[in-house]
Amino acid sequence: MTTTTTALPSAEITRPRTVLVGTMFGSGAAFMAFLGVVLVYVSERASARSAGAEWFPDGTIELGPSGFIFSTLILSIFTVQWAVQAINNNDRTNALVALALSGLFGASVFNQLWFIMNDTGFSLAETNGQFMFFVVLGTFVAFMIVAVGFIALTFVRAFIGQFGPRKADSVAAAAFYWNTVVAMYAIAWYVIFVTK
Amino acid sequence: MTMTDSPPATETASAAPSPAVAGLYESLTTTDHKRIGRIWLQSGVLLLVGALVLGVLLGIERLDADSTDIFGGDNAYFQIWALYRIALVLLVAAPLFIGLATIVVPMQVGSTNIAFPRAALSAVWGFLIGAGIMIAAVLANGGWGAVDRASGDERDAVALTLVGMGMVVLSLLLASLCIATTVISMRVKGMTLLRTPLFAWSMLVACAVWMLTLPVLLANLLVAYVDLHNGPGTFGGGLSGDLSIYGQIAWIVEQPQVYAFAIPVLGILGSIVPVAAGVRGARHGLSLGLIGFFGLLSVGAWAQPYFQETNDALVRYDEKFVYIAFGIAAIFPVLGAIGGAADSVFRGRDRVAGLPPAHLLGALGGGVLLLAGTAAGVARVIQPLDLGDRVSVAGVMNLVLFAAIASAIAGLWFWAPKIGGHELSPMLGRMVVAEIVLGAVLLGGAQFINGFFLTANNPLVAPTEDAADVLNLVSLLGMALIALGALGLLASLAKAMRSGETGADDPWSGHTLEWATATPPPAGNFAEPPALVTSESPLLDISPDEAADEGEES
Repeated sequence: MTTTTTALPSAEITRPRTVLVGTMFGSGAAFMAFLGVVLVYVSERASARSAGAEWFPDGTIELGPSGFIFSTLILSIFTVQWAVQAINNNDRTNALVALALSGLFGASVFNQLWFIMNDTGFSLAETNGQFMFFVVLGTFVAFMIVAVGFIALTFVRAFIGQFGPRKADSVAAAAFYWNTVVAMYAIAWYVIFVTK
Repeated sequence: MTMTDSPPATETASAAPSPAVAGLYESLTTTDHKRIGRIWLQSGVLLLVGALVLGVLLGIERLDADSTDIFGGDNAYFQIWALYRIALVLLVAAPLFIGLATIVVPMQVGSTNIAFPRAALSAVWGFLIGAGIMIAAVLANGGWGAVDRASGDERDAVALTLVGMGMVVLSLLLASLCIATTVISMRVKGMTLLRTPLFAWSMLVACAVWMLTLPVLLANLLVAYVDLHNGPGTFGGGLSGDLSIYGQIAWIVEQPQVYAFAIPVLGILGSIVPVAAGVRGARHGLSLGLIGFFGLLSVGAWAQPYFQETNDALVRYDEKFVYIAFGIAAIFPVLGAIGGAADSVFRGRDRVAGLPPAHLLGALGGGVLLLAGTAAGVARVIQPLDLGDRVSVAGVMNLVLFAAIASAIAGLWFWAPKIGGHELSPMLGRMVVAEIVLGAVLLGGAQFINGFFLTANNPLVAPTEDAADVLNLVSLLGMALIALGALGLLASLAKAMRSGETGADDPWSGHTLEWATATPPPAGNFAEPPALVTSESPLLDISPDEAADEGEES
């Protein structure tokens, strides 16, 4: 068989966008895990309401601070895409600034979430509603930590010159995962803070 | 991501073959997809034997649960019963397919290695550690509990079971990611997605479905774990929760989700049968579509008690239209794939006449079992039959999962030269496959029929009809036959490893690129880049035999 295969021209072995494709699959899986937790929240809330039980005590969940987090994350979508664009244009300085800003926005999200969790005065073992509040936001924090780590790693690699116009795959991958995490927050914000 | 971003060590092709038996150090550090795949396969086969031992013991216990007490009480009995089911899905069927795919898929798509080889290595070791933790914790009375007992008695062991299972799921996800990425982005030039070999395509579909659904299982485990430690105790984590932990995760072993672990059955059927019959597979595009459709119908993470409407007018998820429609529709892609296989056998009837090879028997047997499983699944969703809480559910599960196992074994025999460098005994192969397929028919068939005699799925509920005892005995015989087949499988593998005889490069006149390389394949898979791919059967495009055959036909 080996002799016959050489009768045709050899094909190139290529590996285009492997990191980006892998990150897309990973982001999809992460999104589904988060969605799984959110759906348990929604399901439990529906059960509680149909039984006439209180889900959250009145006045404990405020829209303001959570809205600030959402605004911060929307800003960060622009900064991560700025980083991708800058790397594609071989503009390392802009890319580094954009990545650093994205990381900073991420850090501020942790700070704001910490405030919200303390402000509600909830306890994990108190009620199903309070329990699910922590589980959903805790899961989001875990994915956010990975996103900030990914951005930090991309920053270091950009800093030492591993990326360029023909090698922007990893930056695009980091941006894709970041945007997925922002989408996760959008869902959590709507489900927990808007519809409560 | 750095660990996966750097080019694999095998980027430069070398003619030196990789050794069949690797030392522990090499197994811990290798980035060769063939060695990683072999660890998956060895683990899957050993865990299969373990699961079957549990299956036989459970069968004996079920024969006369009142006077027999093998496991030391009802709670332990239920935990082992749940372990058998979870193990068959997560520790046997999925790892066997992942092992096969880790070895075969990169070669089929003409790649030098799997995508992210170090992540693939982490996945297999993470799986082994997670499986070890999970099994040990269940044996330490920490398993998933019965409906009236949320879990085992040892709270810490229950937590450990959840951690171990979480590690297993994460590892399966990571391995799936590597395989799916390989198919998407590492195909050789000329191999479009429509020209992807059926096994590689079926693994892409299976991995995509697993990546969509297994994270939801992970979410269930997370909720139960947090509840166990600090929660209100109403999510299965408490020892007297509203839902038992098993109740939360049972959707993974029931239809439609259980079908997701049998998606590669259709790929193996479409890959092996045309080669064994010596004909080009017909309507490749249609076969791709059927596999994709079956994958779509097997997405079942939504069909779980957590997501059902729990108001006054209770609507169970398995009474909803979508669930019923999915259950009925699932049989059609399987029928289509079997029709395609039958067409290949008919066109190549001269070549398949006589004693069929083990891989052909296994592929066809797996297909027929899957057809039986999906047909039983159709009966399961027909509401007037009311089989939802009966043992028929276990019949569907066993038929589908043993279809997967029979197909994986067919794949082992078929791709054995590329997996370990040796061919496996054809006679032993026929025996192994025949025992497993026949055993699965007895086991799953008897359980399915038993449901009509009102026998409950919950093993702690005693059967009420006399016929149930006879059917339980038939189930036990089926399980014993399967266990015998698994022992034959171990013997075949041991015999091949001892023989030291290198297999032929292309013993079956294969159609896809894995047969264009040497046996055993060198590091980097191809001594020189594979030929330009112009169809889904690239080796047939250039084989003189095929050219001569086509000339005669015209």
